[in-house]
Amino acid sequence: MRVRARYTKSGKLRFISAIDLGRVWERALRRAGLPIAYSEGFSPHPRVSFPDGLRVLTAVEVAAGDPKLARWLQASCWDLSYSPAAVGWLAQAVAAVAAAPVLSVQRERKATSDLVDLRPALHQISRRDATVRVTLHHVEPPLRPSEAHAALRGHAEASTEPLLVTRLAQRRPCAAGLQEALTGDVIPPLGDPSRNDKDSYSD
Amino acid sequence: MTVTPTAASVWPQLEPVLTGVRKPARYVGGEGNAVVKDHAGVTSAWLLIYPDAYELGQPNQGLQILYEVLNERPATVAERGYAPWPDMEQVMREKAIPFFRLENHLPLRAFDVAAFSLATELGYTNLLNCLDLGGLAVAGADHVDERRHRLGVGRRVPAWYEPGHSSDGRLRGTFPRQRAAPYRVPKRTVSDLDRWPYPKKAIVRLTETVHERYNVKIFRGGTRGCCFCQAGMTTRPVRERSRQTIKEMVRRGVEATGFEDAGVVGPAQTEQADLLGLCGDLADAYEGTATSLSLPSTRVDAFNVTLADELIRNGRRTGLTFAPEVGSERVRRVINKMVSEADMLRAADTAFANRWRPPQAVLHDRPADRDRRRRARRRRPGAEGPGRRPPVRPPQQGHRLGRRLRAQAAQAVPVGRPGNAAAAAAQARPHQGPGRVRAQPEPALPPAAAGGGGGAAGPRRPPGDGHGAARVPAGARFDGWDEHFDYGVWARAAEQTGVDVAWYTTPQRGEGGVFPWDHLDSGLEKDWLWRDWCDALAGSELEDCRWTPCYDCGVCPGLGPQHQTGHLPIYAGPR
Repeated sequence: MRVRARYTKSGKLRFISAIDLGRVWERALRRAGLPIAYSEGFSPHPRVSFPDGLRVLTAVEVAAGDPKLARWLQASCWDLSYSPAAVGWLAQAVAAVAAAPVLSVQRERKATSDLVDLRPALHQISRRDATVRVTLHHVEPPLRPSEAHAALRGHAEASTEPLLVTRLAQRRPCAAGLQEALTGDVIPPLGDPSRNDKDSYSD
Repeated sequence: MTVTPTAASVWPQLEPVLTGVRKPARYVGGEGNAVVKDHAGVTSAWLLIYPDAYELGQPNQGLQILYEVLNERPATVAERGYAPWPDMEQVMREKAIPFFRLENHLPLRAFDVAAFSLATELGYTNLLNCLDLGGLAVAGADHVDERRHRLGVGRRVPAWYEPGHSSDGRLRGTFPRQRAAPYRVPKRTVSDLDRWPYPKKAIVRLTETVHERYNVKIFRGGTRGCCFCQAGMTTRPVRERSRQTIKEMVRRGVEATGFEDAGVVGPAQTEQADLLGLCGDLADAYEGTATSLSLPSTRVDAFNVTLADELIRNGRRTGLTFAPEVGSERVRRVINKMVSEADMLRAADTAFANRWRPPQAVLHDRPADRDRRRRARRRRPGAEGPGRRPPVRPPQQGHRLGRRLRAQAAQAVPVGRPGNAAAAAAQARPHQGPGRVRAQPEPALPPAAAGGGGGAAGPRRPPGDGHGAARVPAGARFDGWDEHFDYGVWARAAEQTGVDVAWYTTPQRGEGGVFPWDHLDSGLEKDWLWRDWCDALAGSELEDCRWTPCYDCGVCPGLGPQHQTGHLPIYAGPR
């Protein structure tokens, strides 16, 4: 049986690398002694002890013929949280980025640094207070949230680094935001309370 | 830079900087089986420090065991701290983030007892650096609040002892300053390892460390008497775990950690009388599972086909490491590593015949080597040319199998360790210049070993210095790592403090020679250590005292526990 799970990697655990995360999963499952490990008692629950910050949100069985994840997941939705003091430059930068026809950002690789256009990959950008939400199409080579930050930085006089970058969901962009893969939930863009922008919620 | 002591967690300061440092996972804690306790409910708080990188320190068994034993006491809390990598240290100093423990990111100061492992002399500078990062004075116990800083191993309190020097600066001994302090601090020995099946719940690492397996010590104490093995001397007598306990520990340990690999370890663990039976049992238990078994270090002479076959029954082959230690037969006799070249070739043949990966042979540069004809072997083992051949000749079997053979050898320079016969040995003078281990036409000691030697035999009090104890040579840290070791730092520090390192490291200690650790009693008789060293230089081998008459090293009569090897009545040698 193959299972697809949606999980969090947050808190202190977010600092572990992708390679390490695989090992963490493996050990968690081995410690649980799957597939038969259920707690005894009135309401048995799977005895999987994940480290703090790793939490399974949803799991579904994979049916034969289901598309491969790489093809199925077409976009990601990210929140970039800045310090409250960033509201000033963010308000201006988000508006400028949303309106810009071309978003040239430097992409730093180990040896090279090229200019790429973020615009085609940027599905939506929205803001509430000091949090910016971006929905990015999965393109090749992939764009990172740090490059969305670079675009914002390019449209501001002075900028600060985000304190926390969180991927909220992956699957498919839609007019109302981004539709999550396993639950079908839609992650809406953030409304700016100061503008009372009802339009960004409705579709 | 001043680090402000605070009892609050440093996490809020740490979190924003973690994305900017290498391998941040080693600073976050949160591992499986880590114990987080509220300090309000405890009467004593311990900080266990391994003064090296997390990847190296986390697998350390000694601290893991103490961590569990202490945390099982309801009113005691034990937490862990490791040396930050230099990039992290720089950030910590810039942002005034003090040294912290992983469980709750509290700063170093919020503890009652700090305990640390000094597994290698090259870690000394890291420890001092950690204490400095924690805002503690490192210039000597005189300057710190003794009530809080009871540093040390066992029950020794450094502030209660002071070295005495004769008029020429020579050490006379280390003497108690307080009536409550004994002249010699005896070690404590657990006699029945079956009653102490630790570690039970090893920390489940979130990031890769040097040993990703659940290790069980199958016995403690070595009686082979290798002259350069500290553990083989200071942990005597031999105490074996029973086969039943080991099996149970492996079963529970693998269950509690999710590790894929279970290692049975001990000093040259193929000495354990019952090893073949144990491996057979473990192989039975894990046949057909994903759990693999390993013997991380194997004595060449005891390795044989049957044992190899037991280990690979479930199809996975982990690495094999043999430790012949040195290339020359004569020097193997000097250090009492009773392994012949024929033994090594036979073991390598066996390994190849059973389709193991090329075995790794651990070879050290040799002490007391007067044999010039063999000096060529000191060179890099891969180097070809007249007079240069690998220390271990590729076995014929390998050619028959048509395998691409590679001999790998790690080079290191043995340093006489505290409590060991070879502590009396004179060390060569370091050569100047960069590089730790280089092929040298003349016998020369790589600088790292001189640093190590300086740490091991060096001064607790530099001559002519009024009150200082050992200092951190400014900038020295991670001296065990090639990329960070800088001999120049040590040389400059020695020059500035007026310490002549060679004065400490190059004389051959005579009978009755005084060492800075003489007040730490491992049970070994000093005059026996001296006789052992004389025997070593004469090239006479010392048999294992478990099956030859006692040679009276002093441990057994003094400490009560005798060798406990009763699982097979007589060890008949390797089968």
